[in-house]
Amino acid sequence: MVDNERGLSSLHLVRQWIRSFPDVQKAAIMEAVESTSLTKARRALRLLEQLAPEQRGPVLDVEILSTYNLEPLLPVLQLAMSCLPSQARPRLAPLDNIEAYIAQRARSGSEALSDARIIIWRIEEVLPEALYPFSHGFPERLAARVDQLLERIERVVGLHRRNAPGIPLFLSTMPLPVNLANPVFAAQHCAGPFAAVSRVNQKIYEIATSSDGVHVLDLASWAAFEGRAYTDATVDFLARQPLSAKGQVGLALFIARCLRSLIIPRRKALALDLDNTLWGGVVGEDGVNGLKLGHEFPGNIHLRIQRELLELRHRGVLLVMLSKNNEVDARQAFESLPDMVLKWDDFAVRKINWSHKHENLREVARELGLGLDSFAFLDDSDYEREQMRQVMPEVLILNESPDPLQTLRALWETDAFDSFFVTTEDRRRHEDYALRDTRNPEAHQGDLEAFLKSLEMEATIEEIGPSNMERVVTMLGKTNQFNLTTRRHSRAQVQTMLASPGSIALALRLRDKFGDQGIIALLLAIPAGDDGTLVVDSFLVSCRALGRGVEDALWAAMSRRVNRQSVRRLEAEYIPTAKNSIVADLYDRLGLQHLEHNSSSTRYLLEPVTIAEFPSWISLKDETNER
Amino acid sequence: MNDNNPLLRLLVEFFDLPADTRPESIRQQLLPSWDSLAMVQLITELEGTFLVNFEIGEIDRLRSYDEIQDALSRKGFSFHVPPISRT
Repeated sequence: MVDNERGLSSLHLVRQWIRSFPDVQKAAIMEAVESTSLTKARRALRLLEQLAPEQRGPVLDVEILSTYNLEPLLPVLQLAMSCLPSQARPRLAPLDNIEAYIAQRARSGSEALSDARIIIWRIEEVLPEALYPFSHGFPERLAARVDQLLERIERVVGLHRRNAPGIPLFLSTMPLPVNLANPVFAAQHCAGPFAAVSRVNQKIYEIATSSDGVHVLDLASWAAFEGRAYTDATVDFLARQPLSAKGQVGLALFIARCLRSLIIPRRKALALDLDNTLWGGVVGEDGVNGLKLGHEFPGNIHLRIQRELLELRHRGVLLVMLSKNNEVDARQAFESLPDMVLKWDDFAVRKINWSHKHENLREVARELGLGLDSFAFLDDSDYEREQMRQVMPEVLILNESPDPLQTLRALWETDAFDSFFVTTEDRRRHEDYALRDTRNPEAHQGDLEAFLKSLEMEATIEEIGPSNMERVVTMLGKTNQFNLTTRRHSRAQVQTMLASPGSIALALRLRDKFGDQGIIALLLAIPAGDDGTLVVDSFLVSCRALGRGVEDALWAAMSRRVNRQSVRRLEAEYIPTAKNSIVADLYDRLGLQHLEHNSSSTRYLLEPVTIAEFPSWISLKDETNER
Repeated sequence: MNDNNPLLRLLVEFFDLPADTRPESIRQQLLPSWDSLAMVQLITELEGTFLVNFEIGEIDRLRSYDEIQDALSRKGFSFHVPPISRT
C-alpha cells in the first residue's frame, strides 16, 4: 500500500489522470497502484489494451538508459505511463551502457522513433569511491573523481545532442546513498560523500538550465520524499535492482508525471472561490473582522494558500475569481484585511454574483478565449465542486474536500500547472489578459435540474421548538445574505412567536449525497389581526445551501400549512440591507404582489394563498404534525 | 479455490496459471517463465504483499510453492492447501 503522504498524493493524481477511462480499467489501475502488485499491474495493462487507441492517448515512446536494473519494474512503468493517458512504450537500453548505446542508436538511424530519452544513474555505480572516501584518497583524489564524473555527464549530454537532436533528454539527479557507513562524517566536509553528490546534482541542474531540450528527472528530491522505504537491499544485491515494491510504483509514477508535460498541456487558468479558501469564514456572514487570515492558526493556512496562488499568478497561471457574494463585501475584505497577500487586480477576471459558477466560468472562458480544458477549479463547497464536475467535466477539480489544509495540499501536489520552464510571456500573461476587453456574455443554462437531481437532496420539514432552537437563533443572528428581513430575534422573542396561536415556524433540514447538511433554512410567520392574515416575519437560507431551490421547498411546505389553517391572505416583506440583494426579487418570483414600497422596505401580498409547487429535485419528508 | 490461500492465489496469478493449479506443481523446474527476471520480480511481489523481508539465506530457497510457504511460515504465516477434488 502506498500510504505515506507523498504516496497518497500520487493516488490522487492517478485518479485525475485516468478519469476518462471506463470504470473497469479505472478500478484495475487503482487496485494495482494501491497494492503495488506487479501481477495487478499486468492485469490492468491487459485491460487497457482492450481500449481503442483514441481512448488510450497518444503514443509515448521512451528510451531509458540506466546504471541499475530497471527491467523488473518495466510493467509497472508501462502502467504508470499508460495512465497519463498514453500508449506507453518504455524501452530499456542494455544495463549500464549509456555512451555506447547513444552512439549505436545514432548509427542505426532510428532515433526519430523515440519521443524522449531518460538517463537514470546513481552514485553507487558512477562514483562508488564516494562510499569509501578514505580508501580513495579523501579529499583530493575523491574531488578529482567528482571532476571526472562532471566531465562525463557533460560528454553524455553532448553526445545525445549531437546524435539525437530534438529528442528531449531527461537526466536524473542522484539520491544520497542509503546504505552508507558513517553518515555523520559523510556530511561534515565540503569534499565528503554527501557534498560530492551535491556537486554532481548541481551540475545536472546547470546543464538543464543552459540546454534546450534537457530536463531534470529529480530523483534526489523524489528519494528524499519517499524515504528509506523505497529501497530493498536484498534485491539490490541479488539483481542490482534497488527498489522495493513500493519504490517501484513510486518511481514509475514520478517518471510518468515528469513525462506528462510532453504530451498534456498545462492548465492555463485557475478559477477559485473566496470564502473559506482565501480566508477562513464567510465575509457576507461573519463580516471582515470575523475572517481568519494571518499568522495564527488557522488563518496561517489561508495565508499560505494565498502565497501559493500568487506564485502561480507570477508563473503565468491566470487567476479567476468565482464567488457567490456581494461584490462590495468581497472588495472590503481585499481592502481591509491587513494580511491579504493577493490583491484585487491579481485576478485576471472576477465574477462575483449569485449565478451558478459553471455559468460564470463559461463566460470567463469566452472572455479569455480559452477552452474549458484550460481551467482548474478550487472551491471549498462540495456542492460547487460536484456541480462543476458534472456540468463541465473538462474542468479539472483540484481539491476533494472543504478542509483548508487539503486545499493547500492540492496546490502543493497538483501537476495541473507542471512545466519545464517559465517564459517571459508566461510571466507577462496576467497583464496581457487583464487588459483584454472582449466580453461577450451569453448565458448558458446547462442541465441544471439534472445536476440538482443528482445531489439526491432530501428535505425534512421540522417544527421550530426546543430541539432545534439553538440552531434557529444562531441562524437568525448570523445569516445576512439570503435573509428577507434580517431580524435578529432572541430566543425569547422566537418563543413568544411560537406561543402565538396560528403562528407557523418551520425549519428545513437538508440531507444530500454528501451527508447531513443540518438545518439550513427557516421561516417564521405570525398572524396579524383577526381577518385571517398571516405575516412572514423571517425567511432565511444559510449561505452554504444557496442555489439549490431549498427556499422553494420551504415556501411550498409553508403554503400547505397556511392552506389548512384557513389563512385568507399572506403578507411578506423585503427589507434591503447592504448584504441581502440576492433576495431582492424573491417574493416577485414566488408570485406575490407588491402591496407597498418605500426606501426602507417592500411589502408583498398573496391573496388568496395558493399552494406552491415543491421542487421536483428535492424529496420531502415532513415531520411536522400537519402532513 | 484459491480464495483461502493468498500465497497460492499470488503464484497462480503471477505466473498466469490455471485457477485449479495444485501447489505441488508450482516449481521453478516445471515453469519456463520462472526465469531469473521473474525470480527478482517474485521476491519483490512477495515482500510487498506479505510485508516481509527475506534473509539472504532464504533467497535461494524460494523456488517452489512449498519452499516459499516454508519461508513465510517461519515469519508467522500459515496457508490452507485445498484438498484434491475427485470427480
